[in-house]
Amino acid sequence: MPEDTSDDERDAQPGSVADASVGAPDPDPDPDTDSDTDPRADGGTVAGQDLPVSEVEEEEDDHGHGLPDTSSLKRWLVTTNHKDVGILYTVTAMFFLLFGGVLALLMRLQLWTPRAPGAGPLSAAAYNQAVSLHGLLMVFWFLSPFAFGFANYIVPLQIGAKDLAFPRLNALSYWFYLASGILVGVSFFQSGAFPGGWTMYAPLNIPTYTPGVGATTSVLGLMLFTASVTIGGVNFITTMHRMRAEGLTMRRLPLFSWSILLTVWMMLFAFAALLAALIILSADRILGTTYFAAQSAGGSLLWAHLFWFFGHPEVYIVFFPALGAMAEIFQTFTGRRIVGRKWFIGAMLLVAIQSFVVWMHHMFLTSINLQIKTLFMATTIGISLPFDLMVFALIYTMIKGRIRFTTPFLYAFGALFLFIIGGITGVFLGAVVLDYEFRGTYWVVAHFHYVMVGGVTALIGALYYWFPKMTGKMYDEFLGKVSFVLYFIGFNLLYFPMFVAWETPRRVFSYDAAFAPWHKLATIGAFILGFSFLLTVYTIGKAIFVGEEADDNPWAYSTTAEWAVPSPPPLENFPGIPSYGDGKLSFRPESAADGGEAATDGGNAAADGGEVAPTAHDGHDDDHVSHASIWPFVTGVAAFFAFFGLSGIVDGELIGGIWGMVHLGSLVFGGALGLGAMVAMGLEEFHGPTGPFGESWPFSKTSNLKTGMWVFLASDVVLFGAFIGSYVFIRVAFPGGWAAWEPIPHRSLPGLINTYLLLTSSFSVVLALVAAERNSTKGVVASMLVTLLLGIGFLINKGIEWFELFHEGIWLSTNIRASTFFLTTGLHAAHVIVGLIIATYMIVRASRGAYLDDDGPLEFFGLYWHFVDIVWLFLFPLFYIL
Amino acid sequence: MSHAKLYTWIYVVLFVGATVQVGVEYAGLLEPGTYWPAVGAILVLSLVKAVIVAAYYQHLRWEQRSLSYLMGMGLLAALALTIAASYSIT
Repeated sequence: MPEDTSDDERDAQPGSVADASVGAPDPDPDPDTDSDTDPRADGGTVAGQDLPVSEVEEEEDDHGHGLPDTSSLKRWLVTTNHKDVGILYTVTAMFFLLFGGVLALLMRLQLWTPRAPGAGPLSAAAYNQAVSLHGLLMVFWFLSPFAFGFANYIVPLQIGAKDLAFPRLNALSYWFYLASGILVGVSFFQSGAFPGGWTMYAPLNIPTYTPGVGATTSVLGLMLFTASVTIGGVNFITTMHRMRAEGLTMRRLPLFSWSILLTVWMMLFAFAALLAALIILSADRILGTTYFAAQSAGGSLLWAHLFWFFGHPEVYIVFFPALGAMAEIFQTFTGRRIVGRKWFIGAMLLVAIQSFVVWMHHMFLTSINLQIKTLFMATTIGISLPFDLMVFALIYTMIKGRIRFTTPFLYAFGALFLFIIGGITGVFLGAVVLDYEFRGTYWVVAHFHYVMVGGVTALIGALYYWFPKMTGKMYDEFLGKVSFVLYFIGFNLLYFPMFVAWETPRRVFSYDAAFAPWHKLATIGAFILGFSFLLTVYTIGKAIFVGEEADDNPWAYSTTAEWAVPSPPPLENFPGIPSYGDGKLSFRPESAADGGEAATDGGNAAADGGEVAPTAHDGHDDDHVSHASIWPFVTGVAAFFAFFGLSGIVDGELIGGIWGMVHLGSLVFGGALGLGAMVAMGLEEFHGPTGPFGESWPFSKTSNLKTGMWVFLASDVVLFGAFIGSYVFIRVAFPGGWAAWEPIPHRSLPGLINTYLLLTSSFSVVLALVAAERNSTKGVVASMLVTLLLGIGFLINKGIEWFELFHEGIWLSTNIRASTFFLTTGLHAAHVIVGLIIATYMIVRASRGAYLDDDGPLEFFGLYWHFVDIVWLFLFPLFYIL
Repeated sequence: MSHAKLYTWIYVVLFVGATVQVGVEYAGLLEPGTYWPAVGAILVLSLVKAVIVAAYYQHLRWEQRSLSYLMGMGLLAALALTIAASYSIT
């Protein structure tokens, strides 16, 4: 046996999946020994031989699940399969790349030479919109969705799942994303898109300074996008924790999956803060509240804190999938596992956590105090340390491996190089004193483009890497390499001059004429970079239509599970239940006997009447996951109309004329359609993936539905926390201080009564569960009815209270105390209303005998309702007593 | 005790807790001099009630620990933001 100098190297067998056991075969493979040298630690692979499935009756599978062929439009409207949704995300994201890219090219044309307002191809107003929407579109509508195209497609394959935990919600995430993007597009035609920068700082973001319905639509579009992300986050967190294959412990999770897992955790908490900011901003624009108009720090600094608390994790949310893709691509094309794998995972984990405690480095030039600036400078330096580790890990992996310079690797390596430059220049920005010079200049612009577009570079590499898997075709390697060369040249020609001409101020097009040559270089670079994207699109597109058939695994040394199935994979992914129990990937047969009752993802498994459908009745369909539903699409359409309608309300009133009517009609239509679609989704018979699953840490004793519910509530905690925090912040900043702030309600009694009502309604929901356990339909209906009535009582009591305030002339827009009171308790009331709508639905179903055998929905409703109660327990003293 | 009985007692405790909070206000403790301790007392009462609802009505006491940690993370994030932001303008 030749001496193995590196037991991380992988045996090469051209064209086949590498053998997981290297060096001296381990006679007693133990999947639990996870030493750093364990070659199986990246999820292992099929041992040596043929792939278990090369022929699959894909046609049969598809027809058996009501899914039309991929060539039909209907397929794409109804699909809930993660692979289809992944393709939808990837393709749609590329459209937004084009959109944002065109805006960038327009900006670069305007910046060709310094200009006065009115000169050049763009007017000042147009330029402001271009700047703002270029940023918004790229950050939100291109980067993350592009990454999540891969996440959707690849993660379930890597972890051994048939689909995500909530397939319909996955489709819903996509349709909300598309609807939100279309809203942003519409906003350009409405009086102009939002022109106040992608960061939407206050008070520029209020109608006084950015009037126009279109600006509101941009904000509402972003709000809908946030909803899409939150749903997606709940879905991925539940799936990735609960539904891993046996033996695939967290430590053995592939690095791309790890990066996505951390991304979705960050998304869950960060986007909730953004949602709070956007709701408040929308209220300022639509209802006339006065949060961001406040002259005190409570105005502009409130936005800054909320936005950047979200905004900093956001940049890592955007970068992490690229990092994960880099790790995968580096491993495959150096022929070895990453150096320091567990440290790499630890570093990613640290960054994810630390990302929430550095946000004030975006605020060094605001009026925050010196002590906190110093603290955040320290935390910012701190966050560069895990990144150093990851960068070195990638570098050492290259040094110790044998590199093959394929297109994916070129892009991934390019990404590393660009990220290092971007990262180092970011460290300068983290030093307060240097930031005093750099803030608002092109140094910042160059820095973040190097890191973010460095991330894009890795994702383009991922596109080439996973393209054969997703389409079964291989692209032209020569064209791929040419696209990389053009890309790299264009990139550096575009962004490096920005460091040299760093003194150019951001977001304007007049600058010192001495910098003009650099800006001209940048503009040329922009067009070369843009062309390279077109070349990539051409390369990929050509391959789809006339490319060679790709092997199921065209990349030697890849070891993650997606390469062990055909390209593209069959509908249900695997030829059995994946398991790593033996130390490498194998497939256990699916036994019909232990299918149990097909769980639904909120749908109705039992026929009305409360009988559980017998498991054997439909033959093989029962154990299979459903793949089609029209309701996510319909809900997405409804959301578009509803949010479009909302944009027509300014300062509490509909805009005048025919457009006012159009907006109102749109709002009503969207609301009604959405309600109908969600009821239909609840009643639909849809089967999500059922357990038990292999590895489910740390939610092994909690069902998918319950886990999802709790994860959602955690995000709702941050939403309300941000609202309450906003109130506290504004009150601290209030002229005269905390004590000078008089509560809006004159007496605590109405609030106390509402507290009693909600507490009692929580009690009755608990009793409903008890009744269900005792198999009493009457008990369930009665308790839920009591809950409903008490909830209505809460709303009536609140209505009376508000009416009295209106009579005194106190409304949302009167002053900041009124704004915070009405909006915060109003958001809470909206949660109550949603709960009561759900409760009504449940009463109807309960009266037909539901929830006796499966009281899950009752329990989950209870979780939501008790949460609403808990929020009130804090709102009441804060707004009525203190 | 049976679950129904436990839940009833919890309900009574919560009811009383809410009343006590208003009682603090009516006792005149929210005047200068005793304001901040009173605020503290009221907020602590809210926190205790919230924990009771979470532990018993939402069942967290009997669920996996990871769920409690999950909610704790959300709470921590909201608190960190509120406290840091408020401190930054003092």
